[in-house]
Amino acid sequence: MNTMQPASKRRRRAGGIAALALSATVVAGVSPGAAAQSSGSPPASKVTVAIKASENNLTPFTLTLLGLPVSHDLTNLVYDTLFWSQVKDEPEPWLAQSADPSPDRKQWTVKLRPGVTWHDGQPLTADDVAFTFQKMKSTTGGRYSHHVWEYPVFESAEVLDPLTVRINFRDAAPTFKILPGGDLPIVPKHIWEKIDDASKATDILPVGTGPYKMASFVPDQIYRLEANAAYFKGKPKVDAIDLPIVRDQSAAFAALQTGQIDSVDRAVPPELFDQMSNQPGIKVVQSTRMESVHLHFNNRKGALADTRVRNAITEGIDLNAIVQTVLLGHARPGRDTWVHPDSAWADPQGGHVFDAAKANQALDDAGYRRGEDGVRRTAEGNRLEFGLSVAANEPQHQRSAQLIAQQVESIGVKINVESIDAATLRQRRGTGNYDSFITNLESHAHADPDALYFFFHSPAPGAPAGSFGGYSNPQFDQLVEQARATIDNTDRKRLLVDAQRIYAADAPALVLYYPNGDYAYRTAAYNGWIADTGHGILTKRSFIRGYETAAEGTPASSAGADDGPPWAAIGVVLGLSVVGAGALAGRSRRREAFEAEEA
Amino acid sequence: MADISLTPTEAFGHQSDSRWSGLVPIGRQFLRALPLAALVLGVAVILNFALPRLAPGDPIDFLVPAEQANAISAEQREQLAGSYGLNGSEWEQFTRYLGNLVQGDLGISTRHGRPVTSLLAERLPWTLLLVGTSVLLSTLIGAALGFRSAWRRGTRSDVRTLTGVMVADSFPPFFVALLLMLLFSVQLKLLPVFGALPGTEAQGLAFAFEVARRAVLPIAALTLAGLGSAYLVARSSAVSELGEDYVTMAAAKGLDPSGVRRHARRNALVPVWTVAMLNVGALFGGAAPVETVFSYPGLGRLIYESVLSRDYPVLQGCFLLIALGVIAANLVAELVYPFLDPRVRRPGKVGG
Repeated sequence: MNTMQPASKRRRRAGGIAALALSATVVAGVSPGAAAQSSGSPPASKVTVAIKASENNLTPFTLTLLGLPVSHDLTNLVYDTLFWSQVKDEPEPWLAQSADPSPDRKQWTVKLRPGVTWHDGQPLTADDVAFTFQKMKSTTGGRYSHHVWEYPVFESAEVLDPLTVRINFRDAAPTFKILPGGDLPIVPKHIWEKIDDASKATDILPVGTGPYKMASFVPDQIYRLEANAAYFKGKPKVDAIDLPIVRDQSAAFAALQTGQIDSVDRAVPPELFDQMSNQPGIKVVQSTRMESVHLHFNNRKGALADTRVRNAITEGIDLNAIVQTVLLGHARPGRDTWVHPDSAWADPQGGHVFDAAKANQALDDAGYRRGEDGVRRTAEGNRLEFGLSVAANEPQHQRSAQLIAQQVESIGVKINVESIDAATLRQRRGTGNYDSFITNLESHAHADPDALYFFFHSPAPGAPAGSFGGYSNPQFDQLVEQARATIDNTDRKRLLVDAQRIYAADAPALVLYYPNGDYAYRTAAYNGWIADTGHGILTKRSFIRGYETAAEGTPASSAGADDGPPWAAIGVVLGLSVVGAGALAGRSRRREAFEAEEA
Repeated sequence: MADISLTPTEAFGHQSDSRWSGLVPIGRQFLRALPLAALVLGVAVILNFALPRLAPGDPIDFLVPAEQANAISAEQREQLAGSYGLNGSEWEQFTRYLGNLVQGDLGISTRHGRPVTSLLAERLPWTLLLVGTSVLLSTLIGAALGFRSAWRRGTRSDVRTLTGVMVADSFPPFFVALLLMLLFSVQLKLLPVFGALPGTEAQGLAFAFEVARRAVLPIAALTLAGLGSAYLVARSSAVSELGEDYVTMAAAKGLDPSGVRRHARRNALVPVWTVAMLNVGALFGGAAPVETVFSYPGLGRLIYESVLSRDYPVLQGCFLLIALGVIAANLVAELVYPFLDPRVRRPGKVGG
């Protein structure tokens, strides 16, 4: 057991060290770039990229344990699809050399590229493709499989020769090359035919045909990928990719700043954008994932079932203010027409007009009179007061919700923001027990030709309001149904544009903003990252020769946000505590010396 | 402290030694504590099963993407739930859970698709490393500071230490973790920001060093979190010991101040020991945010992510493990009291 004297000495020494360290912080906090490492070293053959969360062992069956995977980036490095990628209306042939439809588009004959091998050396054959479709069809749930059992509905596959397979669908599948062609990872038959419960095969290394194979993984800690030297598009440019899981966003960008990692597989948060762009050795490129953040109304509940009310609310929302305040300008404002402006199917005239006066007029005309508290009333005397649920782990959604609540006050609508945990929000959406909520969706919801069908076609009779608001309009239904079966791209687009205009007039939901997707990397480690629209920068095209100029990343523009880096503020706080602690320590030491003299 | 490992049966060989003469009643006391521990464990098992299910949402909501919620049939849902043993009524699930539990089967994680036992075995060592070290450190540092404050109670130095410890204690652990990261990783570039394992395939001593380097900041954050209670208890119990007659007596005999304090300190250690054992349980929970900030693969982060995904089997397993840990810590505390405080093992006092 320590006696008192040495302990107190130790404490004082420790205090001294801490004070020194703190003053160093204050100095460094003033000029964050001062300690940056020198760049210009030769291209490394290994990059380290922090990812958000565990994705199990990356196979298409186990990845979907997550419901919606955190991202498909790793899976798409290990596996290939027949075409790449699903965000283009005419995707590039990848494992497939060609795919030719029957006149009714119910049959597709796929010719595979010869000479492709799996990571274990076995050749890729038509059997693998047929098996993939059959296996996916028999798998319940999951991000990929629903494009086989739900839309388009897969019926059978016939192997015509070792490199040719004919795939039969129940209905016309005019966009086969996009979905499932550009989306469905092809898996090896010789591995998966031996596995009974594919969704529990979480301890095997994935075997794909992709540019990288998994060398090892430590669950929930790190994935190690190495280049597939036999890749059919040539050996990838980087020999190894380490992918540690960094759960905390600020930790991930701190690690990037210190050089512990070379890139982060999540977009730079707006408040760190300037700091990252200005740091020597770090480059930020814009590469949208075609995501959106959107507000959904419960189209079947109370006054929200009235199109005029939903329209007035969306008109009363100033999307530019949200983009400037919450995103500091690093996003595009949403459109009334839902579809991402970069999508091939977007209505070129889509947009959003903020007009509180018009919204007020419309509500007046519709008979919603203001009460004494300024909140409008329905004919039955109920207040126009709605709940807005947001996930507690999404700070940007929360801030947007608060701004919306403030904005619609001026049109006499009261919105109560409620922050709940993500699982509770999921449950409410499943049961239809909500007024409105904010959520986000990936490229899937904007680039897919059937996205409008998927999200906004009337729910089956008797279904709950549904997880996307329970919107129902027979005219809209007819257009999106027709679009699914339309063979010609131009005709399909015309139908989808018409559908978007009906959607815009009904306002079942409103996209608040489309994030820019700014990705940061250290140039010294690897400078070949490209922007692959719809996929960020951690994509197979970043590592394969031949795409360098095809999709050059647009340098992200500075939004002129005047918010400084948070380090400076924290530095000041720490500095103040140093001064305080120093003063206290000094006085304490004097006092102790005094006491010692007395004794 | 080495006495902890001594079991009552081993001790029978030393009955002639007067120091061990009270061990038979201690053994009895320990045996008497066992049924209570079993009861507590039983209640814990029931709560572990019930609590995750009381929260809105369920694991199947997580397994089925929201965009498919309307497309999937009730039968498919039930089938999916069945593959994790989560189908049927709550009562059926509970009896199934109990049946599997006695066979040592904790079920399969709905998020990871792996047996819960293997997940726990993988995460537990990391949490033990963090929690064990930080309980030890916070108890030692807290007790040292607490006793020091007690000897100087009422002086400005006491007030300052008290204020300082209280301020440090009132910061939430994740905030302290972020500050530490900012200071030692980002600005000073001394320590890594995340993870438990080194990025390179280091071997032997180099590996141990890298693992230790990565544990420094989480341990520091957790130590600060546990410091307050250890300090307060040490201080107040030492202060009350100083008011006892034997201290006055010792001082009157002319014993020098450090001798007097040695006597008081030994008696003041008993509550400190109790708090250290309680801290073991508290820090298991407190480790979750710190492990999340540092992406540390411990039990706390597993719990956090399992709550988000409503992974019932994993939550049940984690809480069971923590309940076992806390109950074991309490039993150990019971067992060690007599060695810290001979009064406890005096036969006349045992029943009281």
